[in-house]
Amino acid sequence: MGMGIGWVVIATLLATAGGVLGALAARADKPGQTAFIWMILAFGAQLMALGWRGGLRGQCPLGDVGEVCLFLAWSLTFFYLVTGTTYRLSLLGVFTTPLVVLLQVISLIPGSFETGVVRAGTVDAWREAHAALSVLSYGALALAAVAGVMFFILNYRLKAHKFGGGLVHGMPSISRLVQAMARIALVGWSVLTMGIIAGLLMEEGTFSVHLVVASMTWALYAVLLGIYFVRGMPGRQLAIGLTVLFILSLSVFAKL
Amino acid sequence: MKLICLGLNHETAPVEVRERFALSDVALDRETESLMTAAEVEEGVVLSTCNRTEYYAVVNGGSGIVELEDWICKQRDYHGSREGVFYHYQAREAAEHLCRVASGMNSMVLGETEIFGQVKKAYKRSLEGGATKAILNKLFQRAFGVGKKVRTHTGIQEGATSVAGASVELAEKVFGCLKGSSVLVIGAGEMSRKTARALQSRGASSVMVTNRSFDKAVDLAEEIGGRAVHFEGWEEELTHLDVVIAATGAPHFVVKPQHVEAVRRKRKFRPLIMVDIAVPRDIDPEVGEIEEVYLYDIDTLQEMADQARKRREEQLLLCEEIIREEIDKVRLPAVND
Repeated sequence: MGMGIGWVVIATLLATAGGVLGALAARADKPGQTAFIWMILAFGAQLMALGWRGGLRGQCPLGDVGEVCLFLAWSLTFFYLVTGTTYRLSLLGVFTTPLVVLLQVISLIPGSFETGVVRAGTVDAWREAHAALSVLSYGALALAAVAGVMFFILNYRLKAHKFGGGLVHGMPSISRLVQAMARIALVGWSVLTMGIIAGLLMEEGTFSVHLVVASMTWALYAVLLGIYFVRGMPGRQLAIGLTVLFILSLSVFAKL
Repeated sequence: MKLICLGLNHETAPVEVRERFALSDVALDRETESLMTAAEVEEGVVLSTCNRTEYYAVVNGGSGIVELEDWICKQRDYHGSREGVFYHYQAREAAEHLCRVASGMNSMVLGETEIFGQVKKAYKRSLEGGATKAILNKLFQRAFGVGKKVRTHTGIQEGATSVAGASVELAEKVFGCLKGSSVLVIGAGEMSRKTARALQSRGASSVMVTNRSFDKAVDLAEEIGGRAVHFEGWEEELTHLDVVIAATGAPHFVVKPQHVEAVRRKRKFRPLIMVDIAVPRDIDPEVGEIEEVYLYDIDTLQEMADQARKRREEQLLLCEEIIREEIDKVRLPAVND
């Protein structure tokens, strides 16, 4: 495996550093962009690792647990880097890094990456698009769930009148978190829609348990976001919905 | 040459003495001009705010504190007791005092920022009037640098130290920016006015006032540029509000859970901040159990303000250290000798 696995280790160390230093900065009441900078570096290392697996397979690297976790970690980092600057949610990085690190640690468990991978002879473009778009969408949906966790913490502290500590001080406002949760989830759901359409256009059969579970996930997110945007919903219920749905949606990968 | 500072403030003089020495902008210019004609005064700056009047002067030879104090009392026609009313500093102590004043460390509300602008304005007037030269120019520039450094490197101005300020801080934690937000004030008393003003200063654009006596609501609404609402119809306004401030003298709850429950759907469950600064309370605590409602009473706000004051006081040692370091760098005989 050589340097290939080394990139995964480097990405994990960089994300850990981002999380720890970001948390320390937040604790000192100076959240700033600490986590963001480290996550840019981690993102680069993730790209190198994915390049290594993609090169071995000759297709989108989503053939084993290690690759799925790595791809998901990359997608989560990608959406964090986009959102972190757009919404100035600098503290989102501190909450994102534990999930990124966890996914990469799973991919580092011996056996997660298959050895002796056979390079693909032919490539189905729709299959590749389906896999890539789906995992990308889960990155956004994971980030929406992370924003949901942030909402829980801030909401609890504001309702319980516990204002102390740099964590509350460094967090974005309740309104901004609700806005971020809804918009990131909407982006994730839109990408998931494209992923499912690509799945239906694959050369191999269109019906599978995996596709049914993915479609159910898609439908549940559609209902949740539909209710939020049309009828309205308290931020706490949206946060619960996004967190629970994301955990449930991981079952899609169980059937991969 | 020697730098001296003579003054009185809220800690040393009661308001009836402070008002005697307070100077309007025009009077301030005349006072500075007169100060420059006083014997042995080479440079001078006069600072006058609602809480302090201070004279900074560079004097030659024998002229000093006693002479300056006599001169000021004569100017203001003050014949009352001087004991403990005036404070005075010389050389380095005077320079350090100026830095403390510019940093808000000597203000009634510790760490307040308005004083920085007031010191700047006083210096500018003296500069334009030709009353400052090398020593005070250098000293005041240094003091402005120190003021900025103290505010950036310490927590001297962090946190709200008043009930109104704490309300604004909490509203910003929920809404981020208050620009364009709608506020309803129930009750037309002093606390309502202060809190509404504080929210307006941070961008709240639509302020409605309601009160059992409609005339009082109209008066307050006019004063703060808001709109008066009849007390019988305030519930209808809840649909588009972001912040409710309740400060009536009612002996029972004015805002009840059913008022909010009735408009939740119409509000699309948007967050709503409720600030209850009345005793007895105006807002039923059960209102705070509604998911999107953030309810705070006077005790919570007072505790927040107290904690912020305590945190600011804890920063004083750090501020003093910065001032000492910065004054060490000043190379002026009038300050160092």
